[in-house]
Amino acid sequence: MASSSTTDTNSVPVLPAKEEKAIGIWQDSFGRLMKNRMAVLSIIIVLIMFFFAIFGPFLTPYDFLKQDLSIRSQPPSSEHWLGTDYLGRDVLSRVIYGARTATLVSLLVVVLSSFIGIVVGSISGYFGGKIDFFLMWFTDLNMAFPNLVLGVVLAVSLRPPLSRWMEQMYLSTANPGFRQSSLLDLALVVTVIVLVAWCPYARVLRSQVMAVRNHNYVLAARALGLSTFTIVVKYIIPNAIGPVIVQMSAGMGSAMLTESAFSFLGIGINPPIPSWGNMINESLRQWTSAPHLLAAPALVLGLMTVSFSFLGDGLNDALNPRQWKG
Amino acid sequence: MARYIFWRLMRWIPGVIFLLFIVYALMFFGGGDPIQIMFSKEATDAFLPGNPRYEAVKEQLGLNRPFLVQFGDYLWKVMRGDFGISLNDSRPVAKSLFAALPITVSIALSATAIIAIVGIPLGVIAALNQNRWPDNLILSSALFFWGIPTFVAAPLLMMLFCWQFPILPVPRGWAGVFTVNAIIPLTVASIRPMALVIRQARSAVLDVLSEDYIRTARAKGLPEWVTIIKHALRPVLTPVITQMGVVMTNLLAGSLLLEIVFGIPGIGRLIRDGILNNDYSMLLGCTLVILALVTLTNLLVDISYPLLDPRLKQAQRGDV
Amino acid sequence: MGEILLDVNDLKTRFRSRGKLIHAVNGVSFHVNRGETLGVVGESGCGKSVTMLSLLQLLPPAAQIESGTALFNRQDLIKMNFRQIQKVRGGKVGMIFQDPMTCLNPVLKIGDQVGEALIYHRRVTKEVALARAIELLRLVGIPDPEQRVKDYPHQFSGGMRQRAMIAMALACEPDLIIADEPTTALDVTIQAQIVELVKDLRDRLGVAIIWITHDLSLVAGLADRIMVMYAGLIVEEAKTEDIFDDPRHPYTLGLLSALPAFQAEKKVRRLASIPGSPPDLRAQPISCPFVPRCPFAFERCHSEVPVLMPIKGGEGSGHRIACFADTREWRAKA
Repeated sequence: MASSSTTDTNSVPVLPAKEEKAIGIWQDSFGRLMKNRMAVLSIIIVLIMFFFAIFGPFLTPYDFLKQDLSIRSQPPSSEHWLGTDYLGRDVLSRVIYGARTATLVSLLVVVLSSFIGIVVGSISGYFGGKIDFFLMWFTDLNMAFPNLVLGVVLAVSLRPPLSRWMEQMYLSTANPGFRQSSLLDLALVVTVIVLVAWCPYARVLRSQVMAVRNHNYVLAARALGLSTFTIVVKYIIPNAIGPVIVQMSAGMGSAMLTESAFSFLGIGINPPIPSWGNMINESLRQWTSAPHLLAAPALVLGLMTVSFSFLGDGLNDALNPRQWKG
Repeated sequence: MARYIFWRLMRWIPGVIFLLFIVYALMFFGGGDPIQIMFSKEATDAFLPGNPRYEAVKEQLGLNRPFLVQFGDYLWKVMRGDFGISLNDSRPVAKSLFAALPITVSIALSATAIIAIVGIPLGVIAALNQNRWPDNLILSSALFFWGIPTFVAAPLLMMLFCWQFPILPVPRGWAGVFTVNAIIPLTVASIRPMALVIRQARSAVLDVLSEDYIRTARAKGLPEWVTIIKHALRPVLTPVITQMGVVMTNLLAGSLLLEIVFGIPGIGRLIRDGILNNDYSMLLGCTLVILALVTLTNLLVDISYPLLDPRLKQAQRGDV
Repeated sequence: MGEILLDVNDLKTRFRSRGKLIHAVNGVSFHVNRGETLGVVGESGCGKSVTMLSLLQLLPPAAQIESGTALFNRQDLIKMNFRQIQKVRGGKVGMIFQDPMTCLNPVLKIGDQVGEALIYHRRVTKEVALARAIELLRLVGIPDPEQRVKDYPHQFSGGMRQRAMIAMALACEPDLIIADEPTTALDVTIQAQIVELVKDLRDRLGVAIIWITHDLSLVAGLADRIMVMYAGLIVEEAKTEDIFDDPRHPYTLGLLSALPAFQAEKKVRRLASIPGSPPDLRAQPISCPFVPRCPFAFERCHSEVPVLMPIKGGEGSGHRIACFADTREWRAKA
């Protein structure tokens, strides 16, 4: 370009060559992601977990609910690769089923909380003014206060009405599904975590919508007669989707941890349905004599959260490179 | 400055009251019947709605008044220090709360101090050695430790240091911050948040070092240590202090898990017992205290901003 | 005027970017005399800033000085170690950057930043540095300096910030000041004020100045000599009058004919611009870099890199060009 513009004299003067093909943002980011070994490893681990979540229960050697009091708290052996727990249940099968619990809860949480957050954030960003002020005030409040405490309050107070509602549904539809306490647990846990987890998405969307509203190219697009739908699809979504994806990855790991914490406290998924959190809780009773009961779920939980955190980090680097700095 | 503090209070206090309102409403409309909980240990027949004894107790406790009246009454009593009676053992909630409060706060403060003293320098070192081995080592360790939940790290550490290599006694109860007993709990409490602080500090230092005014400082021929400490560190403090505030609030809440695992008689334990016994007054009281502590922390962080960065006399916390 | 203060010889600087090497500065040689003002003109990316940053070893980590010497008071700046170059920076050579908002530390007071170089270079106390800062602010025309020293950068206007940066550069009474596009980020009216200020200071203090800009007309009233750069090379260097009266290099011709004022004189109706774009600096030059855009190019230009040499018949005037074509002849013929 022959014209002059104020350039940062410290930045690298890269001039486009004729031979290079223009790469799209997605291919560029994907390429960067693939080069990050830790991220690739994390993706593999996450995919393995998904695999077990879907197919696991069909592959378990034993029924994860079956108790056999004659072989309580056995250490790992050739019959029970991870040993048995204090009720004689096969630990390996329970750990595998725990993957299903974890995946189900985190996926539901991430999908629902991102949906709510995106809607709230978009409304806030689009309308601005008082609506924005109050919505953001509420969001900030929610974010500023610790999830666990709010979660506990919500869980304790929402449980009775929820169980009453389920009783009524059972009475009106005679569907035994409504009688299952595990469904109650699941619904409660997911609801509670979603209620505290939607805020970051709202913030991201709001800032994207506001930024796009103010950008000159939106004015230009409007001047050309593009509809709101087109503007949303072409401008807001591509820019917002990066941070949202990063948040989703972090959100999955965080939802898993929160669910485990809840199960650990007794307000999450309760036994006999295995969740890594409640397995850890149960194991704490006699972990000195039966450490494998603690090690199995703890290691798996740790592995998954670390993987999500590396994955989230890798996604962040891939989508927001900082090559020019330093 | 006084005006700044005033407006900050205006932002936070209505928030606390609003949240309290929601929490109170949740418990009021959602939870079980407090009378039945209180007397659950006694004969259950007598304590059903409609029964005269039930109604008498209800009237005595003022539980038949409208919701808003009860809420207002609660607020009023709280401001005078009366948090109601525990549904579990009929003792004043305030007593148990204020006995447990100093313990939880001291854990949170000590852990925060450890994180600041160890974490921030590590983050700075990582930034100064960007992409070389100290940076990679520090970053991966941080990310790794972040993934270990409290209730996993606690037994693991205990297993390691009390059992395998018996150098420390098994921590039970709480004797104070500077005792041997406190080492493992404080370590467990600090590990995860420290990871976040290290990353934040590193990120902040990298951002600041790439700013033009650092180049100006170097162009003036200032010694490198002056450039880093005088010019770079000050702007770094703002995001770092924000993060420390978040850390502190998470510690206040995270002590929940910590106290259960180590048997420490703090607020977290009270919450846990409250959950087990459906003790709504206790839960309400604990939540209120934690809300107050968190608000105080956020307020202190907000107040520090104009002191650190002269541009921020007008800005709000959400903009930083 | 006449004693050589800075003598740069065959400076080459490279950048590493995304695995490729960029030849930002390809063999630049020039000198600056004591008390003289040298204007450095060229478009973005031509290497003018990188050249000057190389002199003070202020390049980012991705950059490397490949070869060359830069004698300042007979010491080679390129070969200095960190402590030596630190003494030169600020103490002997002051630098002014383009954007005063980002170049001043927002959390420190102006007085502190203006005076601090003195503390480390001249070992004075804070009080003395502060007093000197007040004097300097007064010198650059900032009203009420005693109060202003306590202000922060965001409390100053754009023009005032740039004046503060000038004061900062002058603090240790350097022999040379390098100004990297100091007025580009300012309004036109403020630009004029700053140029006037610099002229005044230069006359009073006798400091040598290297003024980098992309605006040829700006530097016309300020510089004694002008150096035109393109693609990491100097293409023409002469006294200011000679650049305007007798431009030789095709690029200089292009720049001049693009100036509105210039064209008004020649009564040209459309604003001319130089067609084409600057070359890709990733390849090392094997021909004259201006060839694709040069209306005077012939065979030799495609196969050799021209070296900066005195013009024919003008060996004493200091007018040098790096060009094989003798544009004067071409123009006479046309």
